[in-house]
Amino acid sequence: MSNTGLNRVVRRELHSPRTVAAAAVLVLVALAAVAVGVEIVLHLVGAAPLLVDPGAALTWLRGIPEQPQSVTLPIGIVAAVIGAILVWLAVAPGRRPKHELGGTDRALITDNGVIASSVAERVRRELDLSRGAVVVGVGHRSADVTVRPEPGQSMDRTRVRAIAEAELEDYALRPRVKVRARVLRSADREDAS
Amino acid sequence: MNATNRGLNRAILFVVGAVLLAIGIGAAAAATWPPAAAAWTDRGSGALAWLRDADRATRLSESTRASWLVLGILLLLAVVVVFAVVALARLGGGRSTTVVRDERGEGVQGQVTIRQGFAADLITQALSAHDEILASRVSTRRLRGTDVLQVTVTPRQNVSPRRVAETVAPLLDHLDALLGRRTPTLVTIRSGLRSRIAADESRVN
Repeated sequence: MSNTGLNRVVRRELHSPRTVAAAAVLVLVALAAVAVGVEIVLHLVGAAPLLVDPGAALTWLRGIPEQPQSVTLPIGIVAAVIGAILVWLAVAPGRRPKHELGGTDRALITDNGVIASSVAERVRRELDLSRGAVVVGVGHRSADVTVRPEPGQSMDRTRVRAIAEAELEDYALRPRVKVRARVLRSADREDAS
Repeated sequence: MNATNRGLNRAILFVVGAVLLAIGIGAAAAATWPPAAAAWTDRGSGALAWLRDADRATRLSESTRASWLVLGILLLLAVVVVFAVVALARLGGGRSTTVVRDERGEGVQGQVTIRQGFAADLITQALSAHDEILASRVSTRRLRGTDVLQVTVTPRQNVSPRRVAETVAPLLDHLDALLGRRTPTLVTIRSGLRSRIAADESRVN
């Protein structure tokens, strides 16, 4: 297989296939079509409708302006909201929280959680911090590193950033991730204030 | 990783969503805004009258209620249902059990097929020897006529993905050497409940 073929697989893996939403919509559309078909057939053979006679349903639809607003308005709004959500699902990129790992000739995809925990570990070790003192969140294009130094320990924001960047550099992520570092005041001073 | 037609998924969502959105906005407007209400009633009456006329004009015979129009609508509904069922059945898919399929074989050798279990055993066995890897899974998918191997690895927490990659890559190289060709492979490094619950990697080896 050519590399471009594998690139396509990687690209697909980084985005949601929207399978669940599409399956739900398909099931509902099929059920609705069956229901309408059944009502039409019942009407044709002159049997009593299950829910509503097709002609009556159409007449009701035409009469929406005359129906009480407390019924029609919520129905309209709910339909519009569901429709907007579906359109959004169709158009939005639907990125999964994953990144492609570069620097090798293999196709590698890693969860953002794996990146975050290993960056946190590296920062923690280099700055000699205790467990839980470093919190890292990795997004699509940015990583937030929050450090809470020990009481009495001085901490430089640029240093934190440099360490996190060095670690991320090692992963050669695609798309690239920008580091934002934050140093919280250490616990003792917070207690004092 | 599967062969789901994503464009189709999104097209379905878009069409159904756009129709619902249009109907919803139309109905809400008709319920609250007098000009829209007038337009709605006007159009609705027109459409209903047209339907009634068409229904009458295409009656099969005097004695029935059935008309070509109604039969056409039923056919359309049947097409919608069939389309939905077919699209549902085709979601996912592409699962395959073959890693290598060599069909040009002629003469004594014949055709060579290497099953997924072979590669899976090889890779998961080798990875289980590594302490930083908690679990691994190997599956194959047939995508656009090519068998792609997917190796899913769950490392311990705090293990660098680069290190995981360096652990897995040689195994894949060995597999390639064994199979005599380069197998398209996707390696997925996962975090999950399992890596969160398991102990961190030990500091002392």
